[in-house]
Amino acid sequence: MEQAKGFSLKEWIFATDHKKIAVLYLITSLTVFVVGTLLAAVIKLSHWSPAMRELIGAKFYNVSFTIHGAGMVLFWMIPVFLGFFANLLIPLMIGARDVAFPRLNALSYWAFAGATILAVLALVLPGRLDVGWTGYPPYSLVTDANISLYVFIVHLLGISALASAVNFITTVITMRAPGMTWGRLNLAVWGLLGSFVIQLFGIPVLAGAVTLLLFDKYLGTNFYNASMGGAPVLYQHLFWFYAHPAVYVIALPAFGITSELISTFSRKKIFGYTSMVIAICLITFLGFDVWIHHLYTKGVVAWANVIQSFLTIIIGVPTGIKVFNWVATMHKGSIEFRAPMLYAVGFIILFVIGGMTGIANGLLGTDVHFHDTYWVVAHFHTVLSMSMTLLAFGGIYFWFPKFTGRMYNESLAKTIFWLLLIGSLIAWMPLYKAGLEGMPRRYWQIPAQFQEIFKITAVGGFMLILGFVLTLYNFLASAIAGQKATANPWGAKSLEWTLPSPVPSYNFKTIPVITGGPYEYGNPEEKLEGQPAAEAV
Amino acid sequence: MAQSSAVQFDAEHHDVGLSVWPFTVGMAVLLVMLGFMSAFQWKLPMVGMFVGGAGVVGILIGLFGWISQVYAHKFEAGLSKVAIIIFILSEAALFGGLFSGYLYNMFPAPVWPPANTPAGVPPLGLALILSVVLLSSSATMQVAENRLEKGDIGGFKLWLSVTMVLGLLFLAGQASEWTKLIGEGFTVSTNAYGTFFYTVTGFHGSHVLVGFVLMLFILLLALGNKINKQRQTVVKACGYYWHFVDGIWLLVLSLIYVLPYRNF
Repeated sequence: MEQAKGFSLKEWIFATDHKKIAVLYLITSLTVFVVGTLLAAVIKLSHWSPAMRELIGAKFYNVSFTIHGAGMVLFWMIPVFLGFFANLLIPLMIGARDVAFPRLNALSYWAFAGATILAVLALVLPGRLDVGWTGYPPYSLVTDANISLYVFIVHLLGISALASAVNFITTVITMRAPGMTWGRLNLAVWGLLGSFVIQLFGIPVLAGAVTLLLFDKYLGTNFYNASMGGAPVLYQHLFWFYAHPAVYVIALPAFGITSELISTFSRKKIFGYTSMVIAICLITFLGFDVWIHHLYTKGVVAWANVIQSFLTIIIGVPTGIKVFNWVATMHKGSIEFRAPMLYAVGFIILFVIGGMTGIANGLLGTDVHFHDTYWVVAHFHTVLSMSMTLLAFGGIYFWFPKFTGRMYNESLAKTIFWLLLIGSLIAWMPLYKAGLEGMPRRYWQIPAQFQEIFKITAVGGFMLILGFVLTLYNFLASAIAGQKATANPWGAKSLEWTLPSPVPSYNFKTIPVITGGPYEYGNPEEKLEGQPAAEAV
Repeated sequence: MAQSSAVQFDAEHHDVGLSVWPFTVGMAVLLVMLGFMSAFQWKLPMVGMFVGGAGVVGILIGLFGWISQVYAHKFEAGLSKVAIIIFILSEAALFGGLFSGYLYNMFPAPVWPPANTPAGVPPLGLALILSVVLLSSSATMQVAENRLEKGDIGGFKLWLSVTMVLGLLFLAGQASEWTKLIGEGFTVSTNAYGTFFYTVTGFHGSHVLVGFVLMLFILLLALGNKINKQRQTVVKACGYYWHFVDGIWLLVLSLIYVLPYRNF
């Protein structure tokens, strides 16, 4: 067995094994998550009282929310799904021994690691970024902040994402085990595939947009310079053409993983598999046609606003299908509330709250009022940030045996769940009210009538921070000294659970022949044929 | 589909083992970026040249080592047709973004190109000659692929070299055009048209350059007897890429060179 050998740094730095690369992604993204959490603490402290605000200062507040936003979206949410979960799950779930291009996969990680190094430098070097995570011109062209840092972070992430997208799409197309038809793929694989398609078409456009910004800033071009015939709003179009679908890059794998968790712990076949797949495809496609809802107040022509508002609302349909299917899967199931299931249900709760408020954002009339207020901040922190983070934690707990060979601390995980769910509600729900009443986002100064609201939300924020600290402790302590896990502690039917925990480096001793779907609960006739879990390796 | 690939994966294949090259290339790319930052943000051009140059050397060494490692395997691994098509789709998205940005600036403009553009810009005549050069290089590439298919390695090398010469001719023509225009005072900073002119032709030219370097690699491999009828996916991949770059040129030609001469 592998873990009998001692730890060797070389085996990690030069690794091409998809499971090792997955762990590298997880460690890196959790590290940035810690930094992002510290910056969130700065933001929440400055919300606490005027005295704290004076202490922190406006400039540092700007830097904090810039790096917090960019760090959490680009280095935690996206890599944890497309780096960690994709690497860990896709080869195991399709019955392959590795990805199509293992070395390219390693390059994806190292480009991502390079971006992480730059992101950390962004905190230390002079000319700290104060442009928000979007980096809009004209401000980004006149500020003395180091915009090249911002651009190169996006470039390195882009290299990483494109290499991964090519790699994993090729893997799923060409390396499925015999009998693994498209209709038998796990929904997690479908969700990840949808995300990679979005990355493939979206990332080049974002990389192009920021490259033009770099040229404008350092090489004297006029793309975004209105006085020379350029168009500043062009940046926003190109930016959001990727950056809006980027939320589906995070959401689609999260949807897929939710389906895995809900089905496993309800001991029921997933309700409406086909409609789930169609919904993923629809979201992948529609995600590219709604970016203008970030620009309703920017003077885009009216017909474009109306069309994209309509399409934005339409996205609620496939998303709704998914939520109803999860509930229908749970209906009359024999539900077992282990920690991953709790996290999945918590995800659905926060996601529905955030999703409903998203409808209000998508409508043209209401959005003009909500635009750039704390309503939007509350919206994306419920629909995206906290719900997806909860789910990522749930997924990490669920597959913990597969990459560490050990079990996590169940009761601690359950306690943390309540801390995180209640903390999220306290931290974000009051902000909807502040936003409705017109409090703009990103302001350092908080008017006296909103001070109470912000103080309450700061309490919720500190609950979340406590929850994160405990979660990291749970991951670390369990990975080192947790109970040894069996091959299939959940009694799950999906292919990866036929393998021992932890999975050996070659995954499958012989490539399995697949005869059934991944959710055949309560159907003894259809089971997966693979390598028996008990077999010594 | 799934079945045949599963069989391939049984033998010696599954494990490519440890590899130092991905790490090397990743860190070298980082060095190039730090070099740019030193030169432009911190105004230390010498440091920038040194660090960036080290990065470029690192990338080349890394890629060379990477390719040697790929060719050390007995089995055919590396770029498959599926992968290169997927990659080309993302390249198409990059050019799509650039072209839409160009049109976004062009349509609302009262005069296009803007009034301070020198007369005779864009130079349509040279662009048309270069189009003929580039499109014929697509044809010669196809001939080279056909020769390889027939097992005629000598013919393959010959037609690949012809393709490379045509590619080089195109780049030289583009370079002389740039030099001439810059001499006439038409630069990236002149106006939005100048910005897009140099950026779009530059992006396209850099793709031609990448294709050229790729063909150089293939020529070296062919001279070392590493290319044959059984191991030709890298040639196929290069062919797809080259045809794509040539196809994109038609869009560059019509949008950047021809459209400014419209009369309406």
